[in-house]
Amino acid sequence: MKRKLTAIVTAISMVTALAACGGSAPASSTTAAPAETTAAAATEAPAATEAAAETEAAAAEESSEGKVFNIYAWNEEFKGFFEKYYQVPDGVTVNWIITPSDNGAYQQKLDEALLNQANAADDDKVDMFLAEADYILKYAGSEATQDITALGVSDFSNTYKYTVQAASDNNGVVKGVSFQCCPSALIYRRSIAEDVLGVSEPDEVQAKLDSWDKFNAVAKDAKDKGYYMTASFAETYRVFSNNCTMPWVDADNNLQFDPQIEAWIAQTEDFINNDYTLTAGIWDDEKNAQMFADGKTMCFFGPAWYFNFCMGNAQDPDKGCSGDWAICEGPAAHFWGGTWLMAPAGTDNPTMLADVMNTFINDEEVCSALVANEAQFSNNQKVNAKFAEDESYGNEFLGGQNDVAVFSAMTDNIVWENHTIYDQLLNEGLQNQLQQYFKGSVDKDTALKNFYNYINETYPAINTP
Amino acid sequence: MSKKKENELKTRGVSNAKWGYLFILPFFVAYTLCTLIPQLMTFYNSLFMNYRDGLTQVGPKFVGLENYIKLFSPDNTGTIGILKYFGNTIILWLMGAVPQIIVALLLAVFFTSYRLNIKGQQFFKTVIYMPNLIMASAFSMLFFVLFSPVGPVNQVLLASGWINKAVDFLNIKISVRVLISLMNFLMWFGNTTILLMAGIQGIDQTLFEAAQIDGANSWQIFSRVTLPLLSPILVYTVITAMIGGIQMFDVPQILTKGIGMPNRTSMTMVMYLNNYLTTSKNYGMAGAVSVVLFIVSAVLSLIVYNSLSAQYRKPKRHRKY
Repeated sequence: MKRKLTAIVTAISMVTALAACGGSAPASSTTAAPAETTAAAATEAPAATEAAAETEAAAAEESSEGKVFNIYAWNEEFKGFFEKYYQVPDGVTVNWIITPSDNGAYQQKLDEALLNQANAADDDKVDMFLAEADYILKYAGSEATQDITALGVSDFSNTYKYTVQAASDNNGVVKGVSFQCCPSALIYRRSIAEDVLGVSEPDEVQAKLDSWDKFNAVAKDAKDKGYYMTASFAETYRVFSNNCTMPWVDADNNLQFDPQIEAWIAQTEDFINNDYTLTAGIWDDEKNAQMFADGKTMCFFGPAWYFNFCMGNAQDPDKGCSGDWAICEGPAAHFWGGTWLMAPAGTDNPTMLADVMNTFINDEEVCSALVANEAQFSNNQKVNAKFAEDESYGNEFLGGQNDVAVFSAMTDNIVWENHTIYDQLLNEGLQNQLQQYFKGSVDKDTALKNFYNYINETYPAINTP
Repeated sequence: MSKKKENELKTRGVSNAKWGYLFILPFFVAYTLCTLIPQLMTFYNSLFMNYRDGLTQVGPKFVGLENYIKLFSPDNTGTIGILKYFGNTIILWLMGAVPQIIVALLLAVFFTSYRLNIKGQQFFKTVIYMPNLIMASAFSMLFFVLFSPVGPVNQVLLASGWINKAVDFLNIKISVRVLISLMNFLMWFGNTTILLMAGIQGIDQTLFEAAQIDGANSWQIFSRVTLPLLSPILVYTVITAMIGGIQMFDVPQILTKGIGMPNRTSMTMVMYLNNYLTTSKNYGMAGAVSVVLFIVSAVLSLIVYNSLSAQYRKPKRHRKY
């Protein structure tokens, strides 16, 4: 009988051990969570009492907030600035959760975390996350984010208006701030412009490229001289798409093609057929290789973050061509991207969150450092104005040109309108499908139909033609 | 032996079997919890409309077989998506698996042949198994870079003068398929070789010797002795390779940036499933695809199992040599 009992007990324990590793995940995670918190509390307790003994009320107030500050991001750009310019309060550990944004991977990771925010242990809660223009609406308009004016971020007198609009919900409640303003410019190679246009100074180049007709005509001249006008079929996409007069979907969630998108397709067909551009995607190596000194491409489009963060090849000390570049507004005003710092609901570090936000929009010292040291175009009009008027300021990469002055003049033309929560994957999907058309592997009709298929799979809520 | 004692022995035998059942119970419990229940849940989920729009949950709402109807209706391009992707999967699998099994069988026979007696077997076994240790996604990423329009392969071809314009390998149907199959082949042929070697080593050596003494040549020994006796392992290899093949995902997903270029000709069933699942968490449609995938795997496995092992289960007339 005894032996029987032992055998049954062994069998049961084996079964439960096996079962625990499989199906019953929610149960095991709920039991694990309290265990973790008690463990954390136990290790923190002595530290907290020591700290309280040493310091005063301020420390006590601080310690009432979380000790771990979790930041969700899709690349290392802001991490660099944060680590350099933000003084993290004593005792707080900053945790970066970085997921690349391709195919919406970042949004998926973030969504899971935000939807689980209420159940997550304090140290696992999202305390701040970054969002881009293409999908900021999804978060700003949801209950997963909170009103930052209530947290103490309320001075928007120096920030650019569109950056506040973008981070607000339908009722005008502000949910985040951007640390940069992103008017996008035409970035050209001075030496190639000299060869093709006979001029290389920004004002003169702008005069020759200030409309699409002129731009398209110059593309032919560039080709005749052995150059490419742009290095990617999607290079001008943002310039068009940012001037759309209607959003991707209408009020009933029907997909709609703006005339600007049609215009982009028409221009690209012309450019591809005439070899004015390459069939490479906007982030492909083939395009990036064109940024080296031996590249044959005259024009790129992008904001400050593009030339200081994404044009590494051009800045390469051996093969690059730093200083041979300059910017001007180009054929149409537009902006591209931008990184917003968003306030998730339920963070256990509201004071620090507000402090980070205020630092990156209102701390003039930090904003000035972003411009002077990082070649950013900050989201502080006062600081930008200071640099724009400063004759001694110049960007080495742009041959000493004062980029802040150029961008400052462009900010008035930026409007925030016609965005949807679907923008990132629709923009990306359209480019991916049409790339196959431009490469000649499918016809245009099939490419568009594949785009609709892609939408049906990705966003069941959108009605396609 | 008395009748009574015999009965006693019988009952004791039965009660021993009970312990046997108890000890295999953990497997069945684990199987039920980790495989059977999820499978039934998948089927259950496939009957609902259930997805996320942004951060808003839509459903779950019971829709019956609507998801299946949608799955098997023509899409925007006029083809029935799932059939196209099933076709792609099978083509990609066959292109990789057929050479894989042939090469593995050949290597296994060479390595186990006492007449060839290949030196440094351990070394070769390690080397051919090596690609399997690399993560599929890393392997795929490597090929993506190698064969990109500005990648090393194009540079070598351009420099050697064989081509005068970079070839866009990743946008040509046949080259994408060949690359995917090649990767799967490289990753799995070592594994198959080792399995088959174990199988061959399990065959009684005296049979080979007897065949040889009877005057059989190498081919006859292979086809009349090795192959028939290897059959159970071979069936196992083919079925596992097939299930793996039908679930092909990581290699084509990374190589084609998840879009199955060109024109979705390298999109597999699981990539299609993934499209539904990632952004919108569409459990209804993804569940329907999974159920179809399950049925297809089950049917194909049965066919392979029956056709390859049929002759050894049926009593057979003597062959005349």
